[in-house]
Amino acid sequence: MAKKQIPLIDTDIHERVQYKDILEYLDEPFKHYMKNCHWIQEKHMPYTQPATAGVDRADAILPDGRPAGSDLAFMQEQLLDDVGHEFGILTGALDPSPSSMHGWYEMAAALATAYNDWQIEHWLEKDERLYGSVHIAAQDREEAVKEIERVGSHPKMVQILLPIDDIMWGDPYYHPIFEAAEKHNLMIGMHHNEPPVYYGKWPRYFIEWHTLISTAHMKIIANMIYNGVFEKFPKLGLMMIEGGFTHIPHLMWKMDQQFRDLRHEVPWLTRKPSEIMKEHVRITTQPAEELTKKEFMSLIDQMGTDEMLCFSTDYPHWDYDSPYRALPNMEPELKEKIFSENARAFYPKLPDKREE
Amino acid sequence: MQEQVVCKTSELQPGEIREAYFGKQNIVICRTQNDNFYAFMNQCIHQGAPLGKGLLCGATTDESNPGDYHYCHQDEILRCPWHGREFDMKNEGRMLANPNKKLASFKVRVENEDVIVYK
Repeated sequence: MAKKQIPLIDTDIHERVQYKDILEYLDEPFKHYMKNCHWIQEKHMPYTQPATAGVDRADAILPDGRPAGSDLAFMQEQLLDDVGHEFGILTGALDPSPSSMHGWYEMAAALATAYNDWQIEHWLEKDERLYGSVHIAAQDREEAVKEIERVGSHPKMVQILLPIDDIMWGDPYYHPIFEAAEKHNLMIGMHHNEPPVYYGKWPRYFIEWHTLISTAHMKIIANMIYNGVFEKFPKLGLMMIEGGFTHIPHLMWKMDQQFRDLRHEVPWLTRKPSEIMKEHVRITTQPAEELTKKEFMSLIDQMGTDEMLCFSTDYPHWDYDSPYRALPNMEPELKEKIFSENARAFYPKLPDKREE
Repeated sequence: MQEQVVCKTSELQPGEIREAYFGKQNIVICRTQNDNFYAFMNQCIHQGAPLGKGLLCGATTDESNPGDYHYCHQDEILRCPWHGREFDMKNEGRMLANPNKKLASFKVRVENEDVIVYK
């Protein structure tokens, strides 16, 4: 029996560039460093591979051996056509991942530019369903803003990815980047490609990293809200990618309770932090904890809104969430919101629903 | 009793997994390095991943102590190709992290060169 198609807006899909394919988009001397000096964005990940095929689904590696996520036709067949995606948001992959490169500012900026051009040409302009993320070298803010100005107006670029670092994103350092984001109707996305815990230090075990992604998300959400980012940039939104969602009610309650006590310190907030979250922050569902319908509905109830969660698969990574199996059954109206309408309402550059 | 020849032993080398049909059911046949054969439904009980794309391997055990690994189950584990969940083939396909959960399994025997699955 044929599977029922789901007209999904998938908020986390990883396309992957191979170093040899990005060379033609790099200027010299960076092409030289990559081609002749064999530069790679080394991450020295000190763990066993998470599953059976590195960080990828074993069945997403191409039959010819190329890495998962590196071929559009294969992604179309295995994911987009198979599930019935309406849209997908590309979020890059581990290696290379210019938006999360630390150090060597010049190479990071050149790599981001090359990556954005490659992404536009090979993905965004090849499949009408795919939308992209602007990669920047945020450690060089002026270059980062230039890059946003260069590609941010592309009609299929919907967000900017920022690095996880010890500079929290509410810091005024980032405000010129937010100004450029607002100008081009881009949202901000957070996705870990570097250790999201212990301030960039490698945890002893990968299971710590992968369990505690939500703590990195909570820090950034609280920091941006208390720093008044969403008061200063009212069109800005924050998409928290791949941290799960069961921590969200806790954060909303905790921030509201603290705000009642300590409001005098952040008087620019004119409404409860949870209200700001409801308006400006969205959360992708993967990796979804295994919840019963009752548990899931209770969480939605605790959030006080069913408009914050956006389904994501994380294809082609090892911890892929199946649109058919990851979440419990839910009423059609709620499913439509989580599987498509919440993301559509969040990203201003995603088209309206197509007429049947 | 339903039974069916699903392949020849020569079509499945030691350490390999092969997808097959048992009637209308999509299954996986696993042949360990020690030439034991196992058969399970080709669908992970977690999110439905095709186990035929997974891996036959060993696993660290609960006899390990903090900071001190104990590795065993050599050749007895079927590992899911997506989330890496480990299923103990010798123990009815039970999940190592939660033995209350297990894969749907089928019986297998080898006669001459035929691998026969039956219920």
